[in-house]
Amino acid sequence: MRSTLARAGLLMPLTLFLVFFLVIPFLNIVILSFYTYSPTSIWIPKLTIENYRQLVEGSFITVLLRTLWLGLICTVICVVFGYPLAYFLARAEPRVKSVGLFLLLMPLMVSAVIRTFGWLVILGRNGLVNNMFHAIGFDRVGLLYHEPAVIVGLTNVFIPFMVLPLMASIERISPSTEEAARNLGASWFDVFRRVIIPLSSPGLISGCLLVYSAAISAFIVPALMGGARVQVLGRLIYDLLLISYQWPLASAITTLLVVATGVLISVALAVTRHSAKQEVSR
Amino acid sequence: MKRDQPKLLKPFVILTYVLLLAPLVVIVAVSLSASPNYEFPPSSLSLRWYEAFFSNREFVRSFFQVSLVLGLGAAIISAVLGTLAAIGIVRLQFKGREALEAFFLAPLFIPEILFGAALYLIYARLGLRPSMLTLLCGHIVICTPFVIRNVTAGLVGLDARLEEAAMSLGAGRAQAFVKVALPLIQSSILSAFIFAFIISFSDINLALFISGPNSTTLPVYIFNLLLFEGDPSVAAASTIQIVIVGLLIWTVQRIFKARVG
Repeated sequence: MRSTLARAGLLMPLTLFLVFFLVIPFLNIVILSFYTYSPTSIWIPKLTIENYRQLVEGSFITVLLRTLWLGLICTVICVVFGYPLAYFLARAEPRVKSVGLFLLLMPLMVSAVIRTFGWLVILGRNGLVNNMFHAIGFDRVGLLYHEPAVIVGLTNVFIPFMVLPLMASIERISPSTEEAARNLGASWFDVFRRVIIPLSSPGLISGCLLVYSAAISAFIVPALMGGARVQVLGRLIYDLLLISYQWPLASAITTLLVVATGVLISVALAVTRHSAKQEVSR
Repeated sequence: MKRDQPKLLKPFVILTYVLLLAPLVVIVAVSLSASPNYEFPPSSLSLRWYEAFFSNREFVRSFFQVSLVLGLGAAIISAVLGTLAAIGIVRLQFKGREALEAFFLAPLFIPEILFGAALYLIYARLGLRPSMLTLLCGHIVICTPFVIRNVTAGLVGLDARLEEAAMSLGAGRAQAFVKVALPLIQSSILSAFIFAFIISFSDINLALFISGPNSTTLPVYIFNLLLFEGDPSVAAASTIQIVIVGLLIWTVQRIFKARVG
């Protein structure tokens, strides 16, 4: 009796809040995605799979493939830059580590708009990079509004998502394992390939999935750095909702992305849990 | 203890940090430059863009009357809801506890742009006009997972015997919790509160969809100016945000250190 009361008081408020403001909005999206589009009244409650059928058409496939491709490149670059940083932080002494974490968390917590703004200044026509080119005699070039600019922006925004899980994984590897390999004559490259990567693979996998799922639904970076050319899923949803009012189609795309993200994240969580269990049983 | 490390590690890590921090450094520099052309490095310094920022009424409104108020509101409400839920999850035994915890943490994993779209559509369908309140509800959803994580971690690390001792001395269960456990997890709740504030204060993805003409947050205002190439007062506004967020994270780190050491 007492515990029922406690349960009601402690868990009910948030549960109800999330049902209203999280579950119902997403159910609404799924329902809307099966409604019929109407140019005059936005949608009419007649069930159809037309919206999903449009998702296999050429123009959408182009955007989809571009988004998935950009996400992949961004993830790979995050691995390349993230591994050394994660290793460094995992093995750093406490003082260095706390400064390092501060410098990693700060950009993560500052609004994505502001970080992207910084890149606009750096890569713009009269920006830092172009000024340097100009000073050594090159012509000014348009660095923005192409895919590479978007990749730079995405990588920069999402790299902490890679570093944090990787760091946690590397911390669990005992330094003596590395030392043993080194003493037996392994080069750093070998240590990295044969010891660190295999033993930190859970962190690597969850880092990759986190970065990838964030990158394929990014909006701010492609909107500000991609110009009109680099259309991606996140922008497409925004445009369809707020500019052309094709709500049912936008709902279908959102549903697709929610399902994709759900799958990616459950895999990431399962991997983390599996490795935690193995550690306990060891 | 000095251990051997690959020689290239340090230079590479420094390069990574330079790339990570470059955008922020450039913005701070531009905001202090006298030139109106986003000049970097600045040739002369001035505070004119800060003056321009503070004399722009809409800008100041979006900062003080929208973003700051919203951040505080979201932090307070999500700290209360999240703390209650965390206590329930750690202290109550019931079936489906793990599933409920996963449900509470779910907003952490849903890309905000999708959640923004979902809220936009449900509000539109229910005929609710975008306002501070509609945005506040969205922010509470994305802030509470951070509170739950923080407070759960604090509660799990707590020695249950402390409360048992209080109870054996005659305190009721609730009284023992409030008088013994609550003071001990204060710092967890405080850092959760600060994190929640930052999340709301920096959010753009939800605000883009569901902020109305009277609830334009600072990030949305900056975003709109960037689309139409505003003057460096955007950089001044951004710098103020960078400083606030930096100070808050530094505070959280202090709190943690005080707790551990």
